[in-house]
Amino acid sequence: MSERERVGLGRKLAAMWRLGFAEATAYRASLLVWVLTTSMPLISLVLWRSLAEDGPIGDYDQRGFDSYFVAAFLVRQLGSSWVVWDLDRQIRTGDLSTLLLRPIHPIYHHAILNLSALPLRTLLAAPVGLAVLIATRGITLAEDLVLLALAIPAIMHAWLLNFLTQLAIGCLAFWLTSASALYNVWLGAYIVLAGYLVPTSLFPGGLAELVRVLPFHAALGFPVELLVGRLSPAEAAAGFGLQAAWLAVMGALAAVAWRRGLRAYGAFGA
Amino acid sequence: MTVGRHLRLAAAQLKISTQAALEYRVGFWTTGLVNVLWSLGGVVPLIIALDHRPDVAGWSPWQVALLTGFYLVFSGIYAALLQPAIGASMAHIRNGTLDYLLLRPVDGLVSCLLAAFEPWSLLEVLTGIGLAVIAAIQLGLSPSVAELGALVVVLGCGLVSLYALGVLMLAASFRALALENLTYLMETLLEFAHWPVSVFRGPLKLLFTFVVPFAVMTSYPAQSLMAALGSRQLVGAVATAVALAIVARLAWRRALRGYTSASS
Repeated sequence: MSERERVGLGRKLAAMWRLGFAEATAYRASLLVWVLTTSMPLISLVLWRSLAEDGPIGDYDQRGFDSYFVAAFLVRQLGSSWVVWDLDRQIRTGDLSTLLLRPIHPIYHHAILNLSALPLRTLLAAPVGLAVLIATRGITLAEDLVLLALAIPAIMHAWLLNFLTQLAIGCLAFWLTSASALYNVWLGAYIVLAGYLVPTSLFPGGLAELVRVLPFHAALGFPVELLVGRLSPAEAAAGFGLQAAWLAVMGALAAVAWRRGLRAYGAFGA
Repeated sequence: MTVGRHLRLAAAQLKISTQAALEYRVGFWTTGLVNVLWSLGGVVPLIIALDHRPDVAGWSPWQVALLTGFYLVFSGIYAALLQPAIGASMAHIRNGTLDYLLLRPVDGLVSCLLAAFEPWSLLEVLTGIGLAVIAAIQLGLSPSVAELGALVVVLGCGLVSLYALGVLMLAASFRALALENLTYLMETLLEFAHWPVSVFRGPLKLLFTFVVPFAVMTSYPAQSLMAALGSRQLVGAVATAVALAIVARLAWRRALRGYTSASS
């Protein structure tokens, strides 16, 4: 890539960012409803804290649940993307052709659009999170500052993992008419297995170990546990390893599906 | 007379959408099955809670199963009848084509609530009824006539409340663009109808009893069969349903006054 091309790409990405931000602002009421839709961890918090009233459940006491679910709410907001629905629609209607003609790769287009909604989303989620923080009188975060800092890359990986998974499934729309329905199946498994409604370490016996190596846990439960200081350095390293492995798998799947899909793609009028 | 006309419209819509859905047989059964699995997946946290404790807020495992049966009934009705109709009406509002529904010789609101059905989710309702019957047998319940009467009343109240909430969502979508996701918010909130209302404390308990009355939909029907529903709760359920229905009707009338179609 020459110097000039690099400057050009930077300007294009900046323009896309402004576009995405403006779009998020225009549909702010809709975005707020999305924030509320993903606030399930906060109601789970109330549920589990009242269940833990007469003593801890597993290795979680009331304060443990408070910390876990507030962190889960945060990670869920920062890890969100919706490329699967956009891509599914664009492939079916042929709108993808317009994106392919633009001087920027469609995947960058989607990545920037999804990322640029995050600041406003965080702003809308902040009052909700703050109210819960006050109601629960604060939460406990990781005491080890290095592990706490490592939560930042873990959350970034979680976002990327969600994005690549959605991309891989969304690309199936090149061949199927129900790609987003398939994603709903994935989402159903995610809600149950990612540590969204219940921390995965509370699953019975051997099931917990199995659930914790799945991609769902890498995309939510792992960064959350890192953030609230439930992982030893060795466990954190293992978690990062799992995240990297799933990123490689999903990245490869998405790349293959995208390349082969484009060859199969026949838009109306193309 | 007019009631008959509305019922005929509902029957016709159900027939058309079932025939249309059966055109895609594989899709019909897979979507239906996936929806059942989705809803049963929501029970996992309850199973985990019961793995660590002998009961959940005083509810034994089979009592929770009974409640889950009623949950499936309501979430199935929501997915099969209410959500598709609200979604279709919202699309009409956005495109300015709601006139087609309003000009029918029936009540405008009823016309909207019958706009579209997705009958495969009725599979969930059947699963729910089956589960409730099995749980009732396991618990050795033999409800009296009065208890069955109470069951019918609370089920009716739950249904009215669910539809009133749907109408409120529809009324809200007249005001702001791109609020289709309100129906997803409702779907998310429904997750909490899985839990006995006695788990919740303070403001959330009030919320789920009177404002978004999941208690009336799942906890109360199960309690009425277990002869554990007090008359105060019964009166509360009726009052909540009536109040919600009135608010919904008023919100709908107000929203409709602000509607300008595509051509006016």
